[in-house]
Amino acid sequence: MNVSSDSGRTPAVSARPANLQRRSRRLRAGSGALLATLFVAACGGGSDDPVAQTPEPPPAAAPQTVAIEFAAKAGNVAVDCNTPLGGLGTAGTPATLSDLRFYVSEAVLVTDQNAEVPITLTASDWQNDQVTLIDLEDGTGFCATAGTPGTNDAIRGTVPTGNYTSLKFTLGVPSSHNHTDYAVATSPMDIQAMAWSWQAGRKFAKIEVNPEGGVARPSPAAASTTFYVHLGATGCTGNPATGETVACTNPNRMPFHAPAFDPARQRVVVDLAALFAGANLTTDGGGAPGCMSGTADPECPAVFDALKLDLATGLPAGSGQTLFKVESK
Amino acid sequence: MRVLVRLAAAIACGLAGCGGDGTRVVEETGSTTTWAWSLPAFFPTPRIPESNPMAVEKVELGRHLFYDRRLSGNGTQACGSCHQQTKAFTDGLVVSIGSTGEAHPRNAQSLANVAYNPTLTWANPALVSLEKQMEVPLFGTDPVEMGVNDSNSAEVLGRIAADPAYRLRFALLWPDQTQPVTWGNVIHAIAAFQRSILSGNSRYDRYLTGQETLTLAETRGMNLFFGETAECFHCHSSFNFNDQIVHAASRAVETPFHNTGLYNIGGTGAFPEPNRGVFELTQVATDMGRFRAPSLRNVAVTAPYMHDGSIATLEDVVAFYAAGGRNITDGPLAGDGRANPLKNDLINQISLSAGDQADLVAFLRTLTDTSLLTNPAWADPFTANTGP
Repeated sequence: MNVSSDSGRTPAVSARPANLQRRSRRLRAGSGALLATLFVAACGGGSDDPVAQTPEPPPAAAPQTVAIEFAAKAGNVAVDCNTPLGGLGTAGTPATLSDLRFYVSEAVLVTDQNAEVPITLTASDWQNDQVTLIDLEDGTGFCATAGTPGTNDAIRGTVPTGNYTSLKFTLGVPSSHNHTDYAVATSPMDIQAMAWSWQAGRKFAKIEVNPEGGVARPSPAAASTTFYVHLGATGCTGNPATGETVACTNPNRMPFHAPAFDPARQRVVVDLAALFAGANLTTDGGGAPGCMSGTADPECPAVFDALKLDLATGLPAGSGQTLFKVESK
Repeated sequence: MRVLVRLAAAIACGLAGCGGDGTRVVEETGSTTTWAWSLPAFFPTPRIPESNPMAVEKVELGRHLFYDRRLSGNGTQACGSCHQQTKAFTDGLVVSIGSTGEAHPRNAQSLANVAYNPTLTWANPALVSLEKQMEVPLFGTDPVEMGVNDSNSAEVLGRIAADPAYRLRFALLWPDQTQPVTWGNVIHAIAAFQRSILSGNSRYDRYLTGQETLTLAETRGMNLFFGETAECFHCHSSFNFNDQIVHAASRAVETPFHNTGLYNIGGTGAFPEPNRGVFELTQVATDMGRFRAPSLRNVAVTAPYMHDGSIATLEDVVAFYAAGGRNITDGPLAGDGRANPLKNDLINQISLSAGDQADLVAFLRTLTDTSLLTNPAWADPFTANTGP
């Protein structure tokens, strides 16, 4: 799969001058419209100059708005924070949802002429110029401990008018945004729950369920309430000479391609039954409870198989992922 | 603005009065006061991130925030709760306890000379700046330390912003920001304060500069420490008695981590979860049990020892290294650490008599810098009824 690279796209937040970051943050509290103006002006030109005001040239065709909608299911049953989930995993364990949030990036619609057209993301609290946070829990009921009230079920943006027949995106955060300081980052990179501070990055996906009876762990550890799936880049190393985090050995970014997709009539479903299909939610063999992307964690092979990511390298391992599927709205 | 300038001058004077020897003349640039390092002659100039320059007023703001319990979610704990000045900025516990009562898997580390650490915490090659590291205790959830999260973050900042004295301090430092009480600025100020915590005035330092003599036992211990018998200096070298150092003139920085044979569960080389060292980050088998060698400055006041606080006294630590590891004979952690297959090659059984070990301990006790433990520049401002 050819996932578009970051080259030639807008500069990373982390590369922006600190004074501009401060200004953006201050303005965010004041006027959303003003922020949007500033954001476009600052980021659109690919210039490092914080006062650059030159907008990108208008696209040849008038843009059309587009929303790539998401929904959560377990098999064919809708998932929410107040309804117990049916049996999940190899043991068919009843469970409840605890958290369900993930970052997507590199969203591209493909025309009937096979041209890949990046979706220009509409700035909001849920999106910056490269990343969308999808949040499918509302902090009620079983999600009250881990979740938050706000929800976002779509990638929203514009594309030039055209006939689009296919969808691609990446589950994950580009490196340029992954290692920014959460405490000073602009939305949607400013969510504490999605920060993965010990890996100096973000959780790309935070999908957590509470299996009935808990998750037994090796002695002497007590049972865990939650079976966690935290996807994120691992093996990260900083450059001690500069004080910057520079590289991770395992990117763990999952490409998704829906060869036939009509954004007007179809949506993307996150299937928890498929994600946990190979996992036994009642028992944890060691490491983090569940799978936190550890290559030596006994629960990770099954989870990564559903994502079709190679656990050892963090690279895509061919087609056949089962986490996402397409269905009619 | 005149008020702000007066405040700056007052802070600067206060520091000069408290800073002890070596404080140099400072010059004022605009509304803040340029920082002047007060370093022992053999200390290099610390590396400071371009995004967070030092300033006298920033260090002083950071000192207040460092000791302010309002900065934790439930208002019960400050950075200074686990990093106490009288214990060289450790807490004397086997492992630290977070603001909600959760036990941390690790022993609190000293902050003395932390400006020179190229990696932070016990074993994390990903955390290479104090600013980044601070997100772990502030916002971390496994374990909860300060307990700031998405739900209470605005409330916690609001406590600081509601304090007029804090508002003045933030406004002075970030005059172009309408609302400068942000997590970014809080973190920058605390990091600047931490970088100001320097320790190079121990009896050993004064011995080096001819101001003090060491006892015979201390001298024997020093010779063992730096000699090929005990070989302590391989990992505890440098002016800071460790082997990970970064400073302003550093070009390449090495960041070694070491397995010292503290565990060897079942003879497999394993350390207990979640204290498996760099392995927790990299999942590379050979990183099992590898931790950063801590500075030995002020080591006599930082008991208990090791990453998990599992050795109680300095005498026991020296005995552990003399044995070349720890043999745990029963229980779930049983295994002969001396035979850990991943142990650093330089950690071997050393022929040290009881007298040799006592001499080594005597030398290690000369590394205590009492000015670090008492200097008001690093003290809790709230216990002195000065308010923020």
